[in-house]
Parts: sequence; structure tokens; C-alpha cells
Amino acid sequence: MIPKIITVGGGDVAEVQIGGTLPLAFLGGPCAIETRVHALEMAERIGEICAALDIPWVYKSCYDKDCRSSENSFHGIGMDAGLDILAEVRGTYKIPVVSDFSDAAWAARTAETVDLLQIPAYLCRQTHVLKAAGETGKPLHVKKGQFMSPWNMKNSVRKIEATGNEQILLTDRGTFFGYNMLINDYRNFPIMLETGYPVCFDATHSVQMPTSMGNVSGGQREFIPHLVRAAAGAGINALFMEVHDNPNEALSDPNTQLDIRYLKNILAQAKAMHAARQELLQEWGEDRVHLDD
Amino acid sequence: MSTSTTDRTIADILLPPESIPMMPGRTLVKEALEQMSASKLGLACIVDGDGRLIGLFTDGDLRRLLLRSQKPLSALFADDIIDHARREFTSVRADTSIDDALNLLQEREIFDLPVLDEAGRLQGLIHLHPALRALLGE
Repeated sequence: MIPKIITVGGGDVAEVQIGGTLPLAFLGGPCAIETRVHALEMAERIGEICAALDIPWVYKSCYDKDCRSSENSFHGIGMDAGLDILAEVRGTYKIPVVSDFSDAAWAARTAETVDLLQIPAYLCRQTHVLKAAGETGKPLHVKKGQFMSPWNMKNSVRKIEATGNEQILLTDRGTFFGYNMLINDYRNFPIMLETGYPVCFDATHSVQMPTSMGNVSGGQREFIPHLVRAAAGAGINALFMEVHDNPNEALSDPNTQLDIRYLKNILAQAKAMHAARQELLQEWGEDRVHLDD
Repeated sequence: MSTSTTDRTIADILLPPESIPMMPGRTLVKEALEQMSASKLGLACIVDGDGRLIGLFTDGDLRRLLLRSQKPLSALFADDIIDHARREFTSVRADTSIDDALNLLQEREIFDLPVLDEAGRLQGLIHLHPALRALLGE
């Protein structure tokens, strides 16, 4: 199977291609859009790091956080205000942006602004959501639900393909391992790659401990570097991380967002691991350990 | 009852396309098995967009697959049927004589003979039991 390449952005903003043997791409930014100033500042600082490392990247932040554990948690800045800020980030720094949506009716409006439309993990098998996303014609970033088998993501892919959209990025963000705990199964990458579409690793949500603190999710950030290095060696095409300048005070996911002071260190290692894997495959050939027939 | 088959061709006894489980290669194994069960033929004919036969998957292939594969059944069900289909198979044209077709079934120890036109499109199927019924019922 020839690996599919997806193209994000282009035109007014940088074009980021993801897939095949292309260099590792990065999707990152604050979990939630907090304020205009904060969003712009984070875009500038992350952009400087990615430029220094020569890593193609897409700015990520969301205007609605519908999956919060508690009704008292910050729910987001709202669609109109959030998309205005994303448009400003996009226009100011000439970078593509990605954001998710939680209601099928929001897909078209969100796609007017973003370059990559994200489907939240909890909604990854919802037919109305997937079809609404597919019909926008935008490249789609689909996160594998924590409850989903990697091979069953094919059903989500087929629902999107039925709309004529074949620009899909599939992401692993961990799999439920009992209650309030996730685990990463790196077999998910080659299995989801069998769909033909590129795959991504969401490092910061993978260390999440869902609703482990009663009304908010916990997380063990200390494992992010380990998981990133392993994923980069396991065949991912893109890396996703939520990044904040003061995670402990973040309005969303305070226990899992990566402090920006560690971003350069981790991205540099991820890029090196990704490149090393490609060099090894070039030298030793593709993996053919136990292919049928 | 007559079993005289000398002057007749398989066009007289083949199963028409509408009674054969035909499906695209991207059909999930689970869906293919359902169609095979519904048809009671024990095989799936995988065709491309132009109706050309590109693979066969039989009850025997399923048995061998189950013995060989180490995948969880839920993963196997989600595979595309073409990934497990046989790409090489014996086929005949509609003007083949019944005798030749029956000899072929016997020599190759197979139950099914897809009938293809010159472009490789599926025209029908010779399946042992319906064929025998057709002959014995004459």
C-alpha cells in the first residue's frame, strides 16, 4: 500500500505535509484558547522553537472543551471568539492551525478558519460528527478513542471516505487500562498505518489519568519524554503535544500540558529519533518479520 | 433422468451473478462471511470496480486462515477480505463444455469454477452442488 500524504495549510500560511517518509511534523499549542494575548504569545514562542529545529508545525488550541470532568471546569472561550483568535494567530505568524469541534453543527463554521479539523477522541466513532467533518473537505485529525481498538478505526476512516474526503491523520492518545488510567500500545501505529493514512502520537494526553482527581483529570508529565522517544521510533508521522507557559495555572488540562521550557529538548529528540528510524529502515529494509504468505 | 453433458456448455447450468456473493476488496472479513453464509455457497467473489474477478475466498481459505493467523478475532474481522483472498484461481469461459468443467472440478479437487468473459468479468459460477442438481434434475 502506498502511504497517503496529507497536506495542511498552504496559500496564506505555511504548508505542512504529513506522511510517508516525510520529516516528523508537530501539532502543538495550549489545550484551550485562554486569551488572545496568551494565544499569540504561545504561537510566537513555539514557532521560534520549531523554526530553530526546522520542524514543520501546526498551531493547536481549542475554543470549546466539552469533555471536562466537571460542569464547573473551564468550558472554553466560545466558537466565535475562539475562531477569531485562531484566525489572528494564523494571519500573524503565517502558520496553519488546528482545532476540534464537539457538535456536528459546528464543523462547517470551524473549517472556515482552521487548516486541520480535529475530531475529539470521545467522538471518533460518531457518524454525524465524522460526516460533518468529512464534508468540509478539510484535512481531518481523528483521535483514536481511548476505548477503541486500533483496527476498528477503519470504520471511522470509511465513514469519512464516504464523504469523498481522503485527507486523514489518525492519532493515538492512549487506551483505557482499567479505571482512571491509560496505557500506550505502540502496536497501534503499524495497525492504523494499514489504513494507508499517516499516524500521530499525542504525548500529553497519553500521560493523562482520566478524572483521577474526582472532578478533574490527573497526569504524569514526567513520562512524556520517554513515550515520545519510543513513539518516534515506532513509526509515527507526526507528534502532538499540548504546550503551556505555566501548566499549573492552565485553564484546561493543567496536569498534562507540557511546560514550554522543555519543548525544545523533547522536539529535538523526537526529530532525531524519527530520522534515525528512517535511516535504519533505509539501511536494513522495511520490517518483514511475520507477514502472512 | 439424464446425465448426458457432451453437447452442452456450462452456460446452461451456471449460477447467475445475482446469486453469487460478489463484493469489493475493501469489504470487511466479517461482512464477507455474512454474505457467504446468506448465499450458502461457501465462497466470496471479490471484484474490482469494473466487475472483474480479482480474488476468491472460500470456506477452506477461512479454515486455513484461522489456523494460521494469530490475530485476535476482532482484528481479523476488521481486515479487508482482499488481504486474505486467493489472487490465483482456476476459471473458465461460458462456452466450456460441461464435461470439461466437471473434469476440471475433479482434477483440481475444487467445488467452484468462476465463469469469466474475455475481460475477466464475472459471468457466473459453477458450484458443484447446484451443478449436480441441474444435471440430475434433467
